[in-house]
Amino acid sequence: MMHKWGMVIDLDRCSGCQACMAACHAENNIAIVGPEEAAKGRTIHWIELLPYIEGEFPHIKARLLPRPCMHCEHPACIKVCPVGATYANEEGIVGIIHSRCIGCRYCTTACPYTVRSFNWYEPRWPKEMKGSLNRDVSVRKKGVVEKCSFCHHRLLRAREKARAENRELLPDDYIPACVQACPSQAMYFGDLNDPFSKVSELSRERRAFKLLEDLGTEPKVIYLSEGM
Amino acid sequence: MKPIRETLRETWHFYRQTLTLVTHGSKIYYAWCLSLLAIMVVGFLFYWKQHEMGLIETNMTDQVSWGLYIANFTYLVGMAAAAVLLVIPSYIYQFKPIKEIVVLGELFAASSIIMAILFVMVDLGRLDRVWHMIPFIGSMNFPTSLLAWDVIVLNGYLLLNLFIPIYLLVKFYYRREPNWKFILPFILLSIPWAVGIHTVTAFLYNGLAARPFWNASILAPRFLASAFCSGPAIIIIIFQIIRKVSSIHLEDKALFKIAELIAYAMFLNLFLLGAEIFKEYYSNTVHIASFKYLFEGLHHHNALVPWIWAAMAMNVTAFFLFLIPPTRKRLSTLNLGCLLIIVGVWIEKGPGFVIPGFVPDPLGEIHEYVPNLVELMVSFGIWATGFFIFTLLMKVALPIETGEFSHIEYEKGVITRKTLEATASLYKIKK
Repeated sequence: MMHKWGMVIDLDRCSGCQACMAACHAENNIAIVGPEEAAKGRTIHWIELLPYIEGEFPHIKARLLPRPCMHCEHPACIKVCPVGATYANEEGIVGIIHSRCIGCRYCTTACPYTVRSFNWYEPRWPKEMKGSLNRDVSVRKKGVVEKCSFCHHRLLRAREKARAENRELLPDDYIPACVQACPSQAMYFGDLNDPFSKVSELSRERRAFKLLEDLGTEPKVIYLSEGM
Repeated sequence: MKPIRETLRETWHFYRQTLTLVTHGSKIYYAWCLSLLAIMVVGFLFYWKQHEMGLIETNMTDQVSWGLYIANFTYLVGMAAAAVLLVIPSYIYQFKPIKEIVVLGELFAASSIIMAILFVMVDLGRLDRVWHMIPFIGSMNFPTSLLAWDVIVLNGYLLLNLFIPIYLLVKFYYRREPNWKFILPFILLSIPWAVGIHTVTAFLYNGLAARPFWNASILAPRFLASAFCSGPAIIIIIFQIIRKVSSIHLEDKALFKIAELIAYAMFLNLFLLGAEIFKEYYSNTVHIASFKYLFEGLHHHNALVPWIWAAMAMNVTAFFLFLIPPTRKRLSTLNLGCLLIIVGVWIEKGPGFVIPGFVPDPLGEIHEYVPNLVELMVSFGIWATGFFIFTLLMKVALPIETGEFSHIEYEKGVITRKTLEATASLYKIKK
């Protein structure tokens, strides 16, 4: 059976340390931008911690919600792209062909989860960092949209390795950088089509929910939270 | 050899005359054209900066990913649609001169579409890849993407609105009766097509489940109603200019009738808006947030509030000006009403429509947007380009329509007479 990659984020375990964000930035060659533009909302994050408030006043709790791309089963972004630069592969991972993107930002507008970032400027890194760019991930140019790919390059690499070793792909072979970096074990990754995988088990939990579920997008990122 | 020489001579005559026509005019004409050119140059310089540095030069963000450019685009599609829809009442009420109204409306539509397309182009992050949207050559996502639809219907509309007036003008130029059996289907086609471009543009926003402000089925009718206000309003003003600078006679009666139609359209526009406001405020779901942001401000963010109330005041005032016969039938109040509508609908349907769709974003974050200097100057540049194109088109089309500028054959006869006539017609235009 085809894999259906999915992620589970346990908000009760998440400490909001932002290690996932840092790991993602390093893994995916995300450009670095100064505080001025960051204040204007022109930073690029493939995973971002969104602040939110839970409960009714005075019983409130400030929390952070890690938000990667949801890799929806029915993504709004693919439908709207005028040039077919966004697509979903057979395993349900939603990707962007950066060389095809015309930068109209219709997908940014259509995405209910605000996961898409536009390259407002030519991406830049400090000179010292140039050598540390990840060679598995293409560097985007100014004027195109980008977003989380579930570290798809890691999957390709894991597949190659498994093939070279003449074995099936094992659950631990393919893990995105954010999940790998999480120190509180709040993030899980795996095959949602495998009923016995960790993510499948967690997705059936009582605490499980998806973001903006009523839009019918069917996200493949599942959150766990006890609530207040 | 002879026919070729004849054709060459005729072509030369046409181009020379055209050039003479557009380069000769009154002082006001020169001032108008030169100021438009100046604005175009400034706009282009600002655009060049944006093109080099990226869209960072604008004030748009990932939260408000479309701004002033797309707001103008939306408005101009409406203008283009309404200019052609004006053909219907002109036939029904037998406005005279009908042929001129058709040609003028279609050329105005063509100029508006060019502006609308330019506004999309300057909004693109990668202008060099615009060809990806061209059918067959690029990788157009048709029929799934509404933007792909828009590319097709807008360009189709542009071609249609260039083809019809060019055909008619060529016929006028040769002093021949146009083959109405041939061209009428195209004119008739342009009417539903006009409705189509605005519907597709409404659907572009309408289909996004993530944006409740746009995700209302009333959107396309609202778009058409507001277009029927702003388009004819600008046409009324253009009609008055044209009858002043050319020998084309347009009756006041036609203007007043158009104003009356605007009053009905404005009633419909306000009614549809009211219907939306009732639904949002009475049911009071989370979807009301964008309406609150627009009309009263949300959590102390209220950049659009003064604008939308100004627009409301303008629209309502204009509605009454056009509804009451004495104010409708006085040119001063008529023109005031037109101006109020042009600006009022622009606010309501441009920034007042596009920006609240993004505020708050689907996850509830509020990021406000106010366009910056680059966006303003580029927008002015594009508006100037459109007006410039329209002015030049009119400068050539009007003399053809009135018969002052026509085929060399009709200036034939004795050679001296021909020259005399040509000079005479030139002088007439110069005046």
